[in-house]
Parts: sequence; structure tokens; C-alpha cells
Amino acid sequence: MKKLIIIVLSVITLSSLEVIGQCNSETLSNQCIPKLAAGFNFLKSYKIEKGGKDYVEYSYVFTKGTQYMINICAVAQPTDGIVVSLYDSKRNKVATSKVNGQFIAAIAYPCNTTGIYYIQYTFDGSTGYCGGSTLGFKR
Amino acid sequence: MRIVIIGVILALFSACGSGKKSDEQAFLEGLDSAKAEGPSISEGVIGDILQQIPSPLEISVLLKESGRKYNVGYLNSPDNISKYNSNYKKALNLGVYGTDLGYTNIYEQNQDGVKYMASIKDLADGLNIGQFFDIETIGRLATNSKNLDSLLLITTQNFNSINHYLQTQNRSNLSVLFLTGGWLEALHITCEVATSNPANKELQETIGEQKIILENIMLLLSFYKESDQNMASLLTDMEELKKIYDKVNITYTYKESTFEIVDGVMVIKDNSSSTIQITPEDISSIRSIITSIRNKVIS
Repeated sequence: MKKLIIIVLSVITLSSLEVIGQCNSETLSNQCIPKLAAGFNFLKSYKIEKGGKDYVEYSYVFTKGTQYMINICAVAQPTDGIVVSLYDSKRNKVATSKVNGQFIAAIAYPCNTTGIYYIQYTFDGSTGYCGGSTLGFKR
Repeated sequence: MRIVIIGVILALFSACGSGKKSDEQAFLEGLDSAKAEGPSISEGVIGDILQQIPSPLEISVLLKESGRKYNVGYLNSPDNISKYNSNYKKALNLGVYGTDLGYTNIYEQNQDGVKYMASIKDLADGLNIGQFFDIETIGRLATNSKNLDSLLLITTQNFNSINHYLQTQNRSNLSVLFLTGGWLEALHITCEVATSNPANKELQETIGEQKIILENIMLLLSFYKESDQNMASLLTDMEELKKIYDKVNITYTYKESTFEIVDGVMVIKDNSSSTIQITPEDISSIRSIITSIRNKVIS
């Protein structure tokens, strides 16, 4: 009987731990929306959850003459080791949010060239491997 | 003690079952009869391409910021909704009206906006995705121009949710049509404004840049050309448009960017550049073909 109780309690405990360990990237990306700087219009929210790959990637066509802002929200400040890098259509790196060991939570990119851009999130010393991000624009 | 253990086990099972779909969701899914026969490529690939299509709101902001006046005559009449009886027409015109709503919102023409909201809600209901369009909140925000930011945010979020839902329900064909309709309407408005302002180089370049989006849209439509006659026909129309866009030349010169940190934000200086070669004749031809395609879509 004792064994059965221990098994049942273990299952309950493990289930609880799984819930605690779940990544609520949607909530984090919603929390990111008000952090867009004044004048920026919301475009997209992105979930950042570590899956099978070492990175999470999205893409979007940026337009010449438009300024874009990408920000990152994570449970631990400022970004819990989440780094966003921006690549142009030819996969040239345009920007990365880790500079001199510092993690920057927001990038503003005044675009000079219309084309597909790749928004790539990587993890550098992250503990939760979980975050949210938003993309906004202004003219 | 046994009763306690059985109770705990039952509670555990019921907790595990919480991940199941709700009855309401199951009912809504049951109503979805608009599933296409299937694209020739995975839904994941289609989703990756769909997410790249820029929001038509960007063009509306460009028009307003460049000092162009509001003109409701550019838009599709919300009264045309009675003409849209097939899922194909509903999805396309949901996109058309979405762009029109964004345009009225940006210009703070709330009376017109309310009419588009009603038509959008009807079309969305007809496609069983009306639950994602929060007309009550949007209508309330539209009554006060101080709510513009919130209005734009909620509207964009609603449309993003619709797209996401359609893709998760294997109804990406409707998502493709929705985004195609939105893009088509934005390009139509830009062409009309550019024709009234022939000296405006920025508008001409914006029309030229649409070459990149057209390629994506044609790629998306091509995935359905074997399974959907309507989408195949739309693709044929887009091929006519592409013939003109083939004359538009976009050149790109990459140069490493630089940056500075301003108030905790990394501000990038893009040192790359691009040029877009497009002639007034190209603009005229693009406008003519866009008008023709749009007339088929909205009639």
C-alpha cells in the first residue's frame, strides 16, 4: 500500500514539475508588445522556445524607408541569454543583440533595402530557453 | 485509504484530460467544411512563406505619412459582401476588406471603418473564423481617435490569430487567399495614389518592390494549382502581372552595418543600399493588370 501511495505522489509531483517547467512564450510575447518604443506599430509576435534546433527562426519582408523594432522578453532580465540576430536575404548578418558580452533587449533597424530578412533567436547561457518577441514598424 | 487512492488516481486522469479539445472547439472544427484537397507541399513550408508577407498596414502608413489624402473611392464597397458566396471569394475579400479597414483606421475615418468591420465579421463568420474577430472591442475603440494605437494593435492581433488558426487547421489555402486579397488591395490603392501623384518616386519604388511579394504569392498559389481550380486561375492572372514585373530591376549592394546603443536600444545603421528601376509605363501596365485582377476578385 505504501508503495502505491509513493508512486501516486511521485506522479503528481512530476506532473507539477512539468507544468512549472512549461514555457509560456505566448504570455512573454504579449508582455513584449507594450515595450515597443513610442510611434511603433505592432506587426507580429514571435514565440521563442528551444526545439530540435539550436535556434528559432522567423522571416519577414522588410521595406526600404521603414524602421523596424524587434524586442525580446524573457522570465529572467534582460533576455535570459536569448540573442536575436538579423540576416538579409543573402544571409549576410545585419545585426546581433549581444555586444561585448552584453545582452540587448531591443534592436531598431531602419531598413535601406526591401527584401526577406531572417530573424534568428539563439540561446547563450540561457536557463529557461523560453521567451517572446515582437516586431513593430514605423515610417 | 483505498477510496482516497482511487480518488487521487481519478483526479489525475481528469487533469491529464484537460489538454483535450473543448466541446465548443470540436463543434467549430466540425463546421469547417472548407478544407482543400491538399497542397503539393507541407503546411509547414507554406506557413514559413506566409509569415513573410508584409502587413498591408505598412502601405497605409506610408500613404498617410507622405501626405496623401484619404479617398474612400479607392476601396471596395462594404456593400459588395452579398456577392461573396464561395469560400474562395470570402477568403480573398476578407483580405481586401482587412486592408481597407487598416486604411480607414490609419486615416481615423471611423464611420467608414465600422462598415468594414461589419463586413469583415460577416465574412469571417462565413468561414467559421468569426470567433477571432473581436468586433465589440474594435467597435468600442473606434469611437475615440485617442484609441488609435489600441485599435491598430487589436485589429492586427485578430488577423494574426485568424492566420495562425487557419494554418493549424490545415486550411492554409484560405490563409493564402486572405493574404493575397490583402496584398492585392494594398497594391491597387498604391497604384491609384501613384497615378494621381506621378512625380512621387517613393510610391513608384513601393510599387516596384512588390516584385518580391508577388514572387512569394505566386509560389504559394502554385502549391494549390492542381487541387484548386480557382487558385490556379488566380495564378494565371498573377503570371500576367509577373511579365510586367520582370522588367522591373532591383539591385542590391551589401555593406556591413554599424550600430550604437541609444537608451538601451541597439540602433542599427544600415549601410547597404538598393535601387529600383521602374518606368512610368511599367507603373501604368501594373495598374491596368491589378485593376483587372481586382475586378474579378471583388465582383
